[in-house]
Amino acid sequence: MSDLPAQPDGAPTIHTVEFRGRGGEYFRIWIVNIALSVLTLGIYTAWAKVRTQRYFYGNTYLAGQSFEYHASAWRILVGRAIALVLFLGYSLSVVFLPLTFGIWFLILGAALPWLANASIRFNARNTSWRNVRFNFNATYFEAFIAYVVWSAAALAFFPLIPYARRVHDYFYINHHRFGGRGFQTAFPARCIYFVYLSGFVLIVVLLLGVIAIAGAAVEIATHARNVFGKFAIPLGPENFSLIVFVLFGIGAAFVASFVTTKVTNLSIGNTTLEGGFRLSSKASGLRVAWIVVTNALLTLVTLGLFYPFGRIRLARYRMRKYALIAGGDLDDFTSEALEAQSAIGQEIAGFFDFGFGL
Amino acid sequence: MNWTIEGRYFYPGAARHVPARASAEADRTLRIADEEGQVLAEAPARRVTVTSRLARLMRRFDLPDGSRFETDDNDGADALLRSLRKRRRGRFTDRLERAWPAVGVSLIVSLLFGYYVVVQAVPVAAEWLALKALPTVGHAMTEQTLLALDRFALTPSKLAPADRAKATALFHRVAAHARGGASGYRLIFRGGGRIGPNAFALPDGTIVMTDPLWALVKQDAEIEGVFAHEMSHVDHAHQLQRVFEASLIPATLAIFTGDMSQMSQISAILPGIVVQSAYSRGFESQADDDGAATLRRMGEKPSRMADLLERMDKKLCGKQGCPPSWIGDHPNTAIRAARLRAEDKGPIAAAQDCLRPWQSGISLRCLGWD
Repeated sequence: MSDLPAQPDGAPTIHTVEFRGRGGEYFRIWIVNIALSVLTLGIYTAWAKVRTQRYFYGNTYLAGQSFEYHASAWRILVGRAIALVLFLGYSLSVVFLPLTFGIWFLILGAALPWLANASIRFNARNTSWRNVRFNFNATYFEAFIAYVVWSAAALAFFPLIPYARRVHDYFYINHHRFGGRGFQTAFPARCIYFVYLSGFVLIVVLLLGVIAIAGAAVEIATHARNVFGKFAIPLGPENFSLIVFVLFGIGAAFVASFVTTKVTNLSIGNTTLEGGFRLSSKASGLRVAWIVVTNALLTLVTLGLFYPFGRIRLARYRMRKYALIAGGDLDDFTSEALEAQSAIGQEIAGFFDFGFGL
Repeated sequence: MNWTIEGRYFYPGAARHVPARASAEADRTLRIADEEGQVLAEAPARRVTVTSRLARLMRRFDLPDGSRFETDDNDGADALLRSLRKRRRGRFTDRLERAWPAVGVSLIVSLLFGYYVVVQAVPVAAEWLALKALPTVGHAMTEQTLLALDRFALTPSKLAPADRAKATALFHRVAAHARGGASGYRLIFRGGGRIGPNAFALPDGTIVMTDPLWALVKQDAEIEGVFAHEMSHVDHAHQLQRVFEASLIPATLAIFTGDMSQMSQISAILPGIVVQSAYSRGFESQADDDGAATLRRMGEKPSRMADLLERMDKKLCGKQGCPPSWIGDHPNTAIRAARLRAEDKGPIAAAQDCLRPWQSGISLRCLGWD
C-alpha cells in the first residue's frame, strides 16, 4: 500500500511500473482458456480474452495500484459474431467471386477509420487505474487522415513509412485522455528516421549473416554426408533456401521488435499528461528483441507450452521500463462521464488483423 | 453473520482513496466504513457489482454511486459475498484454474484438439474449399505463378519441334486415360533454368515440363508416368489445397490462443513448414498412386516412372542420389521408387506408408483419411 505523497512544489516523484504476473499462474489460466474455448466451439474465446486482459492489466502496478480491464465478455462475443460473419463473407466471396475483392477493398477502406476509433475507444474506456477510466476521442476525419491517407502515402512511397508511423502514434496518443486530462506527445521526425535507419542496417547485416550461416550449415551437412554416408544430418543444398527463409524470418522478427520498442520509447517517452505529468519509456530495443525471439524458440521447442511463461517474461521486462513522472497530485484525477460504448469495432478490427496502437 | 474485510475505499469516480473496511449488514446491505468506524458508503448488495475472482488480482466492489471498495483479501471477499447471499460469478472457472487436475485435463483437451485440427479438420476444409473454388481462381493463380517462375527460375524452352510434337502426343494419350479427360490438361515447355529436370502442375490444369527432364527420358512410359502423376495433382487441386492449408492453420491458432503477436508468429514458422511438407508428401504419394493406376489402365508398368525418378535424383544430387530430408515436400525418392515398383503387381495398400512415418512424413491416409 504505497500512498505516495505528492510534492507540488518540490522535485517531481518518479513512479515506476511493475508487473507482478507469474508464469505458472498464467499458464493455468491460459490452458483452461484454450480447453474451454475448444469445448464450447469457440464461444468461450470472448471470456478467455477478458480473463487474459484482466490478468495482465490487474498485475500491472503503477504507484502501488494496478490497472484494470472492465470489458464485458458478452459485448465482445457479439462483436466477434458480427466480425466472424463479415470475415466469412469476405473470405468466401474473395475465393468464389474474385471480382468482389475491389468492392470489399473500398468498404474496408471506408470502414477502417470508424473501426480504428471504435476499437481504440473501447479499449481505453474499459481500462482504469485508481478508479479512474481512460478515454479516447477522435473524429472519423482525423482517423481517416491518420490511418487511410498516411498509410496509403507510406505504401506508395516507402521513405514516408517512419513519418506515417509518427502520424499514427500522434493520433493514438494525442486523442487519449485520463481523468479528464489529455495526453500529448511530440518528438522530432529525425529521431524516428534514425530508428528506422538503424533497423535497416540491422536487416542488411542480418541477411548477410543468415546467408553465411545457411551456407556453412549446408556445407557441413554435405561434408558429413560424404563421410558418414546414410546416417548423416539430412540437410542438403536443396534445403538452402528454406534454411535462409527460416533464419531470415526469425531475424526479421528480431529487427521488427527492436524497431517497435525504439519507436514506443520515442512516442511514450515524450508524452505528457496535463497537470504536470510525464511518461517515460526506456526499454532496450535489443533486449526486447532478444526476449521475443528466445521466447518464440522456447515456445517452439516445448510445443507451445512455454508460450504463457514467455508472455509473462516479456511483460515483466517491458513494464519495469515504463514510469510516470508526477509533478502533480495523483489524487486529483476524476473520471469523465462516459457514454455507452461498443466492442463491435474492436472485434471486427481484430478479426481483419489491423493493428492499432503501439 | 457479520463479516468484515480490510481494503481501500475510492470516492465516487475519483482517484482519491482511504483505507477502509467492508462489512455485511442486516438486510443484505454492504457497508464501507473508515478506520474510525465512520460510515463512508452503504448500498444494497444486489446493486453492487463485484469483479470475479482471478488469480491474486484485487477484488473490486463497485457501488451504484460510482465509488468503489477494493481488497486483495480474496477469501475474505468470497466469505463477505456469501454472507450477503450474493452470487459469486466466475467461481467455476477460477476453481478450474486453481486445480492441477483440471489443468492437466485442459492440457490434454488442447493437445488433442490441436492434433485433430492439423490431421483432420484442416485437410478436409482445404480440400473442400479447393474443389469448390471457381476455375477463375485457379486460372489467376496459374498466371501469377508462371509469371514469377519465368522471371526468376525458368528460361524459354529450346526443345526441337519434333520432340515437342512427340511429348504432346504422349501427353494426350495419358490425358485420355486420366480423370480430367483429353481436354482437361495443357502441356507447356520451358528450359530448366535453376530448377533442372522437373515437371509440375499448375492449378488450372497447365503442366510444365522442363527440357532437361525430356533429355533424361529413355522410354515413353517413363514420361507418361510423370504426366499421369501431374494430372493427379490437377484433379485433386493439390496446389489450391496447399494455399488454403497455409492460411487455415494460423487462423485457427489465432482464434483459439487469442494471439497474433510477433512471438507467436515466429514460433509458428517451423511447425508450419513441417506440417505443410507432411501434407505435401501426402499429396505426392496420392499422385504417385493415381499415376500408377493410370499407367496400368494404359497397359504400362508403373515401375517405368520409378526409373525416371531415380535418374532425376542422380542428376540433381550426384551418384548417391538425394539424401532423405526432414523438411522436403516430396517423400524420399528411394521410397517412392520402391512403392511404384510394387505397383507393377497391382494397387498396393496405402497402409504401407504408415509403418515408417519418419521417412514418408505424417501420412494423413494412415489416420483413416483419404
